Amino acid sequence: MIVSLNWLKKFTDIDMTVGELIKLIGARLVEIESFTDLGEKYKDVLIVKIIEVNKIEGSDHLNVVKIDDGGKTENIERDENGYIQVVCGAPNVRSQQIVVWLTPNTVVPNTFGQDEPFVLGTRKMLGLTSNGMIASARELDLYDEHEGILEIPEDIKPGTSFKTTYEMDDIVLDIENKSLTHRPDCFSIIGFAREVAAISGKQFQTPKWLMELSPDFGQIESEKVELNVNIDDAELSSRYTAIVMSGADGNRKSPIMIQTYLSRIGMRPINAIVDVTNYLMMLTGQPLHAFDYDKLVKVAGGKADIHVRAGRDGETLELLDGKIIKISPEDIVITAGETAVALAGAMGGANTEIDVNTKKIVIESATFNLYNLRATQMRHGIFSEAITRFTKGQPADQTVPVLFEAVRLMNEWAGANTISDVADTYPGKIDRTTIKTPQTLINETLGSSFDMRQITDTLLYSEFDVDVEEPYTVLVKPPYWRADIHIPEDIIEEVGRLNGFDNILLTLPTRDFSAVKLNDFDIFRSRIRTLLSRAGANEVLSYSFLHVNVLEKAGQEVNNSYKLINSISPDLQYYRQTLTPSLLDLVHPNIKQGYDNFALYEINKTHSKSDGFTDENVPIEQEMLSLVITEKNAGTDAPYYRAKRILEYLSESLGINLEFEKPENNLNLPIFKPFEYRRSAVVKDKLSAKVLGVVGEYKKSVIRGFKLPEYVAGFELDTRKLFDLVDKLEPNYRPISRFPSSERDICFQVNDNVTYGQVLDSIENNLQTEKYQAEVSPVDIYMPENGQTKNITIKIKMTADDHTLTSEEVNGYINSVIGSVISETKATVI
Amino acid sequence: MQNIEEISTQLIQQVNDSNSPRDILKAPELKQLYAVIKTLPPEKRSDYGKQINELKINLEKTIESRQSELENSTVKPIDITAPWDVNSEPQQLLPTDKGSQHPLTREIENVADIFTRMGFEVIESRQIDDDFHMFESLNFPGNHPARDGYDTFRTEEGFISPAHTSTMQNRILKAGKEKLESGGQIGVVALGRCFRNEDIDATHEHTFYQYEGVFVSDSATLGQMLGTLRSFFEVYYKQNLKIKTQPSYFPFVEPGLEFAIEKPEALGGKSGEWLEMLGCGMIHPNVLTSAGIDPKKFRGFAWGGGIERLVMLKYGINDLRNFESGKLQFLREFV
Repeated sequence: MIVSLNWLKKFTDIDMTVGELIKLIGARLVEIESFTDLGEKYKDVLIVKIIEVNKIEGSDHLNVVKIDDGGKTENIERDENGYIQVVCGAPNVRSQQIVVWLTPNTVVPNTFGQDEPFVLGTRKMLGLTSNGMIASARELDLYDEHEGILEIPEDIKPGTSFKTTYEMDDIVLDIENKSLTHRPDCFSIIGFAREVAAISGKQFQTPKWLMELSPDFGQIESEKVELNVNIDDAELSSRYTAIVMSGADGNRKSPIMIQTYLSRIGMRPINAIVDVTNYLMMLTGQPLHAFDYDKLVKVAGGKADIHVRAGRDGETLELLDGKIIKISPEDIVITAGETAVALAGAMGGANTEIDVNTKKIVIESATFNLYNLRATQMRHGIFSEAITRFTKGQPADQTVPVLFEAVRLMNEWAGANTISDVADTYPGKIDRTTIKTPQTLINETLGSSFDMRQITDTLLYSEFDVDVEEPYTVLVKPPYWRADIHIPEDIIEEVGRLNGFDNILLTLPTRDFSAVKLNDFDIFRSRIRTLLSRAGANEVLSYSFLHVNVLEKAGQEVNNSYKLINSISPDLQYYRQTLTPSLLDLVHPNIKQGYDNFALYEINKTHSKSDGFTDENVPIEQEMLSLVITEKNAGTDAPYYRAKRILEYLSESLGINLEFEKPENNLNLPIFKPFEYRRSAVVKDKLSAKVLGVVGEYKKSVIRGFKLPEYVAGFELDTRKLFDLVDKLEPNYRPISRFPSSERDICFQVNDNVTYGQVLDSIENNLQTEKYQAEVSPVDIYMPENGQTKNITIKIKMTADDHTLTSEEVNGYINSVIGSVISETKATVI
Repeated sequence: MQNIEEISTQLIQQVNDSNSPRDILKAPELKQLYAVIKTLPPEKRSDYGKQINELKINLEKTIESRQSELENSTVKPIDITAPWDVNSEPQQLLPTDKGSQHPLTREIENVADIFTRMGFEVIESRQIDDDFHMFESLNFPGNHPARDGYDTFRTEEGFISPAHTSTMQNRILKAGKEKLESGGQIGVVALGRCFRNEDIDATHEHTFYQYEGVFVSDSATLGQMLGTLRSFFEVYYKQNLKIKTQPSYFPFVEPGLEFAIEKPEALGGKSGEWLEMLGCGMIHPNVLTSAGIDPKKFRGFAWGGGIERLVMLKYGINDLRNFESGKLQFLREFV
């Protein structure tokens, strides 16, 4: 939204610099995004009189023109009468015209501030000297009119400065709209000026005509016409008012001063009729619409019968811009009889459009349900100044005063006269309630120390009705334009904001000394990050959403993912069910970047439909941890063991013993889908046998799909389950022995189908840990070329708590271990 | 001539029997089918073309699954219980000096640490939520214009990818109600991932992290809110800081403010340079009410700021897209 400082100044004094003002508005109302100094733009622009116009021979349209600049311009060639010569091609140039002249060396205003501004000069055209240029409205950057030069209808003394005459020595401010969503009043010059007054501690005075809620529209002098307005559903519109005028001259322009004000805040002046509606909308925030009365009566079948109702399915309407729209029941329409003639708040219909033959106009001043209009705005893509204001919720009380002013201006600028009574239907009238706000509540909420005088003054400045209930409570009735004020908190906001929140003393809440500790799960995740980073892995954060291709490549059921319906990109269409696919998708790009050996891990949430819902009926979230490791020039061993190594490093550091099982019943879970079942394992907690996740290599199709190198593997775990185990761990400390330990390496030859785990289990089941401390570790796993058997070498280190072990004891111990391995795995010891 | 269906069945059979299924795409039968198109009258061509296309898509699918089948049939099982492969060496970890933690999680831990020391509990926010927590409970009635500002992603079921951590406010308030009513305070910070449906560039991301604070007591003030926030940033930047505010509008607070700090020396700040850090305000009575807390007895304040902003300022990162890129080049800057 653009606001003109000069326009504001018509309603309140501003006696600070622009910099100070912007700072003040920023601290107490809204952010000013930028400002433009118009004065600079119109620095060397003069109003002059055309004295003489002569056709140039040999040119079909150029004239040589003599202008009178009142002798204001220095260092310029003049004729014997002191006039200046300009060559002009405009078809409407006439002698005795008052026009706008851009002096030589001026930057043409509509190129001002551009990369290549157009600088005028004194030039020869067809051998004739031409000084500067007589300007059109477009060149003056007023509006897009290039048919001819701008004619000034007023009798203005030649040589007068353009910017002084039309108050163009102005600053325009660009306001950040978004944070004024709740302030319809601020979408108007008067409303904005009121705020500027209030924040600078000055009393504001709203113009009388805007405060007069039941103005006298006066007598109708000619024959009266009828006009009926009806709101069929009070939910859609709280008030609809209209009046009929005749004799409006569509060829008349509004005063140049008004045109310049409209154009400087971004409205294009059209003609007096349209300008009245736009001018009042900018001034007050109340949009107006004008219909052709005779067309409306014809559409309604001979009666002037306006209705406001919900759109109907199947209804269509041709809008002013020629577009034919399908109306929905959520739209509000204005109808003449049964037929739609306007999309309320958004745009008029072609069937009642004003044209050169229009004799009588209906002026509408109404309010509509902002939620409906918001839907209309979205559905039909209409983002006009009017609907922007309607969707903030314009006050119903303001409709009539603005209609009254519109009638006055239509008469003054377009020569129109009223020929009907005011039609006014107001089903949504609400009484303004008084908000009782104790001084203590204000100060206790803000942490401030305003006295009663400060509080009442602040509210009075922006025209609240304020009474005091002695001794210390204010009774506040907000003015009709403050529909955002309902509760004491709103009053507190006003008092704090208008006086500057930055003036409030900063304190801290008091608290008792009960300790607050970081969440244990957060501490745990932080520990995992430390451990995995220490293992050389890199933590990534990847998107929570996936492309359907990624899901498919990972072999996961697309239907098990929550699907986004309004995603901006196909890359973000499905919630991920597990983290592994996201990580796999990051491997190839990193390899392309030249990274050969790396491990990526992520700790994050995942979402599958199959997980179901929480008590709050929102999807259950899983806390997961996933890692993928790859190596370019690895050996020929199975990468599975590389992933398992990191996993066991992690689990051992956390104090958890894992066991690894063939995946059988779990294969259909999303977490297992990317993994090759013959080369991966279900990860379980050894103690509780709880399933934690999966570790392994990926399916060949997954490797191909994600363009992964051959040597790649990974794991994915349920972080929450892992945490629950770690959280319940009991300290497991055994006093260290003073006595020396003995070590033995034993090599078992077993059949190929016997697993390392079986051998280890049968050893561990016979360690007699109540008598000895024992450590078991692998030394070697060898498979001869025959591939039928393998040799598993294990080191056993044993210590007694209370004596030095004798060799008999050691032998007995080892033999018992060997015995159990042999009986359970049919191993031979070699 | 054989019809399309027959050829289709025949080719699919061939794929299922083949050891190099992709070759079937070059089958002469297919070429013949394509050749027929030209001989057809124009009005029949489109229909016929569609049928061939369907056949081709079917064939591709079958080839894909046959290929997987072939690949998978050659897979050898391994001993999943072993510490390393047969005839190979014990496994090593990767060099520790290349490992790294993500700068965002590092900062999240740092922020959580400071707020915990100030007396706030820290929780994580959800990544999928409903309209009630995203809007309703935060005083955004249906169709409220302020909803537009949030560009939320929605799922088919009507769930919402949270566009702010404020989705946790109602939960925090409900959970703390009892403590509050028995003379305590609510002080919680929710940290987590949020989403906005917007195109990404150097300064826009659809995925980002926020930290949300909620404080409620029988005597909370706006002055306390500003003091608390200043205190956080003073600890964070290890220096005294000036602050300023700007009125703003969020339906779930009244009053609502934007909060800025004077740019700290650590970031090369000079006097008069300001950094907008977060949005904050006094919790709207309707938000308290929707959690069953009596706004006549209790008041609170809340704020929400971005983690990325802190990290970008700290390291001089100027492109948001780095964070979720998964690029080692970026990640290993933080070893």
